Amino acid sequence: MAKMTCEDFAVFGLERKRKHALLSVADATRQAAALEHMNRCPRCAALEQSWRAAQIELQALRAATQAAETPSRVEMRLRLQFRTKHHTLKMRRAAVAIAWTVAAAAVLASVMSWQKWRSAKLESVPHVARDVPTKSSPVNASVGPSHTNTIAVVKKSAKHDAPPAAGEAGEFTLLPGSLPQDTDDAAVVRVRLQRGTLVALGLPVSEDRAGDWIQVDLLVGEDGQPRAYHLAR
Amino acid sequence: MRLLSEQDHDDALLQRAAKGDEEAFLLLYRGHQAALFRFASHMTGSFWAAEEIVQDVFMTLMREPKKYDSARGTMGAYLFGIARNRVRKHLERLPREVPLDAGNQDEASRTTAAINSVTPAHWAEQQQRIEQVRAAVLGLPAEFRETVVMCELQELSYEEAAQLIGCPIGTIRSRLHRGRALLLAKLEMLRDEPRRCSARG
Repeated sequence: MAKMTCEDFAVFGLERKRKHALLSVADATRQAAALEHMNRCPRCAALEQSWRAAQIELQALRAATQAAETPSRVEMRLRLQFRTKHHTLKMRRAAVAIAWTVAAAAVLASVMSWQKWRSAKLESVPHVARDVPTKSSPVNASVGPSHTNTIAVVKKSAKHDAPPAAGEAGEFTLLPGSLPQDTDDAAVVRVRLQRGTLVALGLPVSEDRAGDWIQVDLLVGEDGQPRAYHLAR
Repeated sequence: MRLLSEQDHDDALLQRAAKGDEEAFLLLYRGHQAALFRFASHMTGSFWAAEEIVQDVFMTLMREPKKYDSARGTMGAYLFGIARNRVRKHLERLPREVPLDAGNQDEASRTTAAINSVTPAHWAEQQQRIEQVRAAVLGLPAEFRETVVMCELQELSYEEAAQLIGCPIGTIRSRLHRGRALLLAKLEMLRDEPRRCSARG
């Protein structure tokens, strides 16, 4: 066992009775050396004694303050602060959620009103102007077996835009056998057909021009039968 | 020092507190406040300052719970770290402050000292000794005082003290050695002071 010097004793010797100092074999060896040194050195023995006395006083101070605690007002203050902080946070989150909801509702309302406005505007435009013939759209008007041509279909209720009678505007001419009241719920259908096909509708056609392609607006009744016609230019 | 399982418990409490659970926060506070308060009062010598420091520590925890990283140490160590910083700041600005509450403070310390005194004279003598030790501890330089408070008054092991302060155990040993020597000298001086006064008188 190595001998301990006075300097070593001042560092290690005084902790030999410490609660946490008994940890390892090395510590035990050191403590034995310190004890041996203390028996040999009266100065270190006196130092040890005065430190023990100081430790007793420190113990008294420790005991005096052992029950010391933070006053309850601190807990109250912290509790209040905690509530304020988390209440504010909750309020802020709620405000953000409400703001987003209102913004989303506003956007939705704008979109809906725009759509409504747009459809209203489209409805206000005369439907005849929208009758753009396209070859891609199939026609469902039963004008005749040879009517395989493709045209745009204009669905228009006669309530909104009553088809003109034969004698009225001169636009539509009633087909033979049709009555003006039959055109009440009729739709206008623009077809492209050969002039000769008009014979099927009961119209006279000169034979030399029977092969010409022409555009005809037909007023088709609810039963799908043409009621009146108008030759488009 | 608190055990490892208590650390898990503290972590769980902190998580709950961060989500707004007041009870969890209060449990954390009640579990740590006394040790922090004793440390702060030994370091500052003022109950008012200690109160303020403990409040600051928990306000910091409340404001920034995510700053605590359980991988780096226990909750106790983390709170002690904050308390140490607050104590240091307090000691730095101490010369500029004039204490207005000396009377109250004495009263508080007397109330805290629950001593089973046999006679009033004995109680007074014991009280005087405690005050002398308190004064001697307060008279130590901050870094030695810190080590003495942790190892001698808070009864932490060297390892725990080293972990809290963030230095090697050897540093703790040497600081404690210097602190003890200074403390003994101061205690001797305080013990002799009344004798010197009476001799002069």
